[in-house]
Amino acid sequence: MPSPASREAEPGTNAPGILARATGARVWRDHSLLLWAHFLVPPVLAALVVAAALASPELAGILAGAVLAIAAVSARSLLTRLSKAEEAGLALNNQLIQSQKLAAIGELSAGLAHEINNPIAIIAQEAEWAAHLVGEAGQRTGEAFDEVKDSLREIRAQVDRCKNITHKLLDFARKREPVLQEIDVARLIDDMARLVDKEASYKNVTLVRTLPPDLPKLRTDAPLLRQVVLNLMTNALHAVDTGGRIEASARADGEVLEIAIRDNGCGIPPENIDKIFNPFFTTKPPGQGTGLGLSMCHNLVDGMKGQICVESAVGRGATFTVRLPRNPEQNLADGGRT
Amino acid sequence: MDIKILLVDDESDFVETMAKRFGIRKMPIDTARSGQEALELLAAQDYDVVILDVRMPGMDGLETLREIREKNPLTEVIMLTGHASLEAGMQGMNLGAYDYILKPADFDELLDKVRTAFERKELNAKSRKQGG
Ligand SMILES: Nc1ncnc2c1ncn2[C@@H]1O[C@H](COP(=O)(O)OP(=O)(O)O)[C@@H](O)[C@H]1O
Ligand SMILES: [Mg+2]
Repeated sequence: MPSPASREAEPGTNAPGILARATGARVWRDHSLLLWAHFLVPPVLAALVVAAALASPELAGILAGAVLAIAAVSARSLLTRLSKAEEAGLALNNQLIQSQKLAAIGELSAGLAHEINNPIAIIAQEAEWAAHLVGEAGQRTGEAFDEVKDSLREIRAQVDRCKNITHKLLDFARKREPVLQEIDVARLIDDMARLVDKEASYKNVTLVRTLPPDLPKLRTDAPLLRQVVLNLMTNALHAVDTGGRIEASARADGEVLEIAIRDNGCGIPPENIDKIFNPFFTTKPPGQGTGLGLSMCHNLVDGMKGQICVESAVGRGATFTVRLPRNPEQNLADGGRT
Repeated sequence: MDIKILLVDDESDFVETMAKRFGIRKMPIDTARSGQEALELLAAQDYDVVILDVRMPGMDGLETLREIREKNPLTEVIMLTGHASLEAGMQGMNLGAYDYILKPADFDELLDKVRTAFERKELNAKSRKQGG
């Protein structure tokens, strides 16, 4: 099944537009005239052909050909319209399904993390205590306990690792109610980019900012958006090779502000594109990736009443696009998706 | 409007100059030299904004941040990082920091961030009150 991302409707369509086309009712109302035309023109012309047949068979033949052509074109355009509407609906549906899935997984993992935290804490304490005992004994018996000490150290290291994971899970599941502030997106992006610059320069990667000076302000939750931008930039940095290029851009599109992080790195294979927003999906070696970054981004963008999508070709790079309503409260009043 | 600020950093020189500079702007701040000390202060009174060094000996900044977010969820935290450490920045933002600032901190920039962090805290407190 296609990902919400790759199926994102053509650029320039705003959320209400997609919604309008996705929901049959509004499509039919807005296009009812067109629809009447689609249905009525061919039969009317056919009637004309019948009428003409009574007068002259040749004329009827020509007319019949023309009518056939018109009917074919009409059917084709109707089909395109329908499949476009269906596609938009699918994209919306996928985003919705993804959101519900994430919510369910979030709840489950928070419960698990809570349960596992207690035994982990006990293991840590016991290891600590054992290390203390062995330490005392060690002074008397010398090297005999070195190996025991080593393995105790390892136990503590692994317990720390578990704690790290459970903490991340709890962070992931934490509900964050957005707090809306008027923010300067260009500055926010540049701020986050400065965090990435240094690491990028080690890899000889350039991080380009394409930020128009007249970018309008955005009402959104600043720290949540920082988190999203930083996660996308970090992923991009991981994806590119030495000498690669990352571009962070923003632009206004009507009532929507669009932020895009584009890289020319390894790209995402088609079989993975449906999975990358799932929690724990990672292609990075253990210890380097938790697979929580993008699912968290999806969660956060959802909370901000926006959309996140990806476009990628293997070997050519990936572009992650975040579209946010410039004024989410107003969007709500318009009867937008809640 | 008075903003209650706590600066946490193990580097004494830095803490003292910052305290002075805030003082000049008639914005007295409290200071702590370790994460532990910061948490004790936070347990005793409310702060609006905590400016927190991420690299400290003992209980490190990220651990402190986690504790603060858990115990004082309304308090906003701005991280101070010595050099642009991406890893620490990522972890900090993911743990719920409001923003970060690079050392040596540009004072006006820091002040600006403190103000917007404070604004968020106030908005957050208000919406929580309304929500029940
Ligand atoms: N810019 C990108 N280019 C290529 N692959 C990416 C990009 N961003 C994310 N991915 C893929 O999506 C996976 C999940 O990303 P994420 O949720 O951030 O977790 P993590 O970074 O811990 O692996 C990554 O492991 C990688 O395979
Ligand atoms: Mg990631």
